[in-house]
Amino acid sequence: MFASLCHVASVSAPLVRTLASLPRTALTPQSAIYVSTSSNPYFNLTLEDWLFRHYPAHAPLLLLYRNNPCVVIGRNQNPWKEVNLRVARERNVPWIRRRSGGGTVFHDLENTNYSIHVPRASFDRAKTANIVVRALHALGVEGYANERNDICVGGKKIGVFSSYVSGSAYKIVSSRAYHHGTMLISTRLDTLGELLRVDKPTMNTKGVESVRSPVCNLVESNPRITHEAFVEAVITSFRKEYNVGDEPCVVGETPVYVGDEYFKVGTAELLGWGWAYGQTPEFEYVLEKRFRWGDVTSTIRSKHGVILSCTFTSSTSTNIQATLDELGRRLEGKRYGFVHDAEIFSELGEYGSGEMAESEAGELWRWLQAEMKG
Amino acid sequence: MVFARPLQRTLIRTSLFRSHFHANHCLLAARKSLRTFKLADIGEGITECEIIRWAVKERSAVQSFDPLCEVQSDKASVEITSPYDGVVKQFLVGEGEVAKVGQGLCLIEVEDEDDTTGVEITETTDRSPVQQPIQAEDNTRTEAPQSAHVLRQRHPLDPANVATGTTDHVLATPSVRHFARQHGVDLAAIAPGSGRDGRVERKDVEAYISSIPVPEEVETTPSQEGDAVVDLGRTRYGMWKAMVQSLEIPRFGYTTSLDLTRFHGLLPILNAHIPTHYLPSSSTQSSSRVSHMVNPSALYPVPQPPSVPESGRFSKMTYLPFLLKTLAISMMEWPLFRASITPVTAQETNNKPTLTIRPTADLALALSTPTGLYTPTISSTQSLSLHALASRVTHLAHLGRQVPCGLTVKDMPRRGGTISVSNVGAVGKGEGASPVLIPGGGVAIVAIGRAKWVWDVSDEFYRPNEGMEGTRRLKIDVSWSADHRVVEGAELAAFVETWRGWVENPERLTAEAT
Repeated sequence: MFASLCHVASVSAPLVRTLASLPRTALTPQSAIYVSTSSNPYFNLTLEDWLFRHYPAHAPLLLLYRNNPCVVIGRNQNPWKEVNLRVARERNVPWIRRRSGGGTVFHDLENTNYSIHVPRASFDRAKTANIVVRALHALGVEGYANERNDICVGGKKIGVFSSYVSGSAYKIVSSRAYHHGTMLISTRLDTLGELLRVDKPTMNTKGVESVRSPVCNLVESNPRITHEAFVEAVITSFRKEYNVGDEPCVVGETPVYVGDEYFKVGTAELLGWGWAYGQTPEFEYVLEKRFRWGDVTSTIRSKHGVILSCTFTSSTSTNIQATLDELGRRLEGKRYGFVHDAEIFSELGEYGSGEMAESEAGELWRWLQAEMKG
Repeated sequence: MVFARPLQRTLIRTSLFRSHFHANHCLLAARKSLRTFKLADIGEGITECEIIRWAVKERSAVQSFDPLCEVQSDKASVEITSPYDGVVKQFLVGEGEVAKVGQGLCLIEVEDEDDTTGVEITETTDRSPVQQPIQAEDNTRTEAPQSAHVLRQRHPLDPANVATGTTDHVLATPSVRHFARQHGVDLAAIAPGSGRDGRVERKDVEAYISSIPVPEEVETTPSQEGDAVVDLGRTRYGMWKAMVQSLEIPRFGYTTSLDLTRFHGLLPILNAHIPTHYLPSSSTQSSSRVSHMVNPSALYPVPQPPSVPESGRFSKMTYLPFLLKTLAISMMEWPLFRASITPVTAQETNNKPTLTIRPTADLALALSTPTGLYTPTISSTQSLSLHALASRVTHLAHLGRQVPCGLTVKDMPRRGGTISVSNVGAVGKGEGASPVLIPGGGVAIVAIGRAKWVWDVSDEFYRPNEGMEGTRRLKIDVSWSADHRVVEGAELAAFVETWRGWVENPERLTAEAT
């Protein structure tokens, strides 16, 4: 899944959707309550988007789903800063950019996602958060929403800091808004920590940086809670809040959905380089390395996943410096993290493949390439 | 196609301008003007947003409701749509930059089709090369269409749009809206129209007009008969003033439920042993089951119990005195809740605020009476026995019930209590009240609900392996509001847990009895 990301061509559809550019769909949402049995994150995110754009604007809607292990970053975040890409590759855990704002979360089968869609005019973060809080109360958990509308559990021991059990994000368009979040039921918190732990203090990004918070699972408060119990509780709470009597519509990755134009285009878009990497806001990364031939400081500026500039300052000889400058120039316009050796060295006649391993530039390039991979 | 139409119109306009460059301004040919589209208030207290992406390019055409750009703020990703049909001339904020609410996002050139005369319309000059940044005279321009008879429906993100809470959102271009308004047609009646995404088009309005047989009469203003105007009355006005003052207190709420089952189990015994001097005179119940064949007063007179007025007598113990007593004991363990904000005189207003902590637990009881809401104080509650408390509460309730009110200034001292208690459960089965802190009413107020039996399947009672399937417990909701200038959430929560420790284990009172 990871390798395919760099080979998919940039998606031609504009990434801020215009009404004219929304893919067509032959399907219509049937119910105000949707539960997905699929654990494919690309399918689920596309399902959420399809419901968001096609359900009647004045009516509230609830969607519940859970995903196979993956890391989900916010719409305006920098994956190199938010995701430990090396650990993700090692564990074969993909990362995905979602359409709503906010920070980075880890999804797996032990955490459940809820998505509440309402008309924009009546969007109220506290109200939607409380639907979930009341569901927690019904499950015997003393949860509450803090002033930022994150859901926390204070614990029976007063004086212990409260921990988050849920992260939230929002999306607002002209007539509709949604609040979605993850509810940690029994996620492996150590895995979550490792995947989200990135140590790059010298990478400065515009856009959104995640706020690290202590998290805990619901099962710590009530060991009997399961995904199914949480789903039922949220449905009940949602029904009560909005006086909805609809039967839940259970959706899976059936041919009807998977074959629909909207779903095909939507999932392809999420997988494409243009969305995943190409939506990264501008960032600057300063790296230092001591080689036997000199100390090098490398400054890379990138925007929308493409290298804008790459400069090297070093304490080495002017010859080598000149070569480094040329290397930096050749990196301009290339995709950050996806540069092949051939793109850099093919035009440089002086560096044949045999000498490349020896040369200083080659050594530096190998180091830089590894750093950019994350 | 979408793009071709405005382009066509621009071409036509340009040629008109060239040939009529010095012509009279009052020609009714469509005018173009440049508007600044400002970042509207997105709500939720957000003051600025970062532009993530522009959906259009500069100098491209947009229609109303076409997405214009995407912005991000505080975990929300927001799509902003164009308020007008027109051409986006210039971006004022770039991708990755931050715009404040009210700041201009871009310039959009718009055609105007309103034919109000007498309004000076400024025109753009198409002849100047595009390199020059175009000055937008938007202030005069945007005011113009707001004249009474050419009210355009505001785009929800139009900065001049004040949210009116309307839920119907009919898609139609401004020219169609104007046409509909001219003919007194409500767009909501036609929606959805025949246009793209259900837009109402001009031909829909025309069809609607021709199908109406009789023009509708304008409704007369509703009659004023039957409305009665009354004064608030002294007590209600007192409540008004107190509540307005209470607005300056930042408060937070905290709700929980207390388990009264164990106390409920004690009630039969407590009721069987109410001392005679507290029992109503008419009661035939004897307070003591011990019959005295030998007289305790034979050696020395037994001290006479204090005389209790009839209004202070009760025949049954209730939950409220018990809750007040346990609350008072908890207050003795928590000095914060025996504190009140030191009243500040005019000269001292510059000093930092201080708290005055009293050695006693004083409670203000909110009483709803036929004559209004009163808050008499019970001082030194911790020193009163459960019987004495029950008697005091009964007495105060009796005084309150009188018309005119029997409560005097002596019952409602200015010093007041440090915690107010409202027994709203006596009135109804409400769950989750949100009481308001009254200035002078202390640092916290608690509203006590109505006790109800529930089935409890918490771990204590649900152990199917041992054959326990849950049990019936008597719970009562208590909703707190506290003054956040002096009380922390965790402190209130911990205090309530202390209270719970007494309420749910009434046996502890036997060890405390002096």
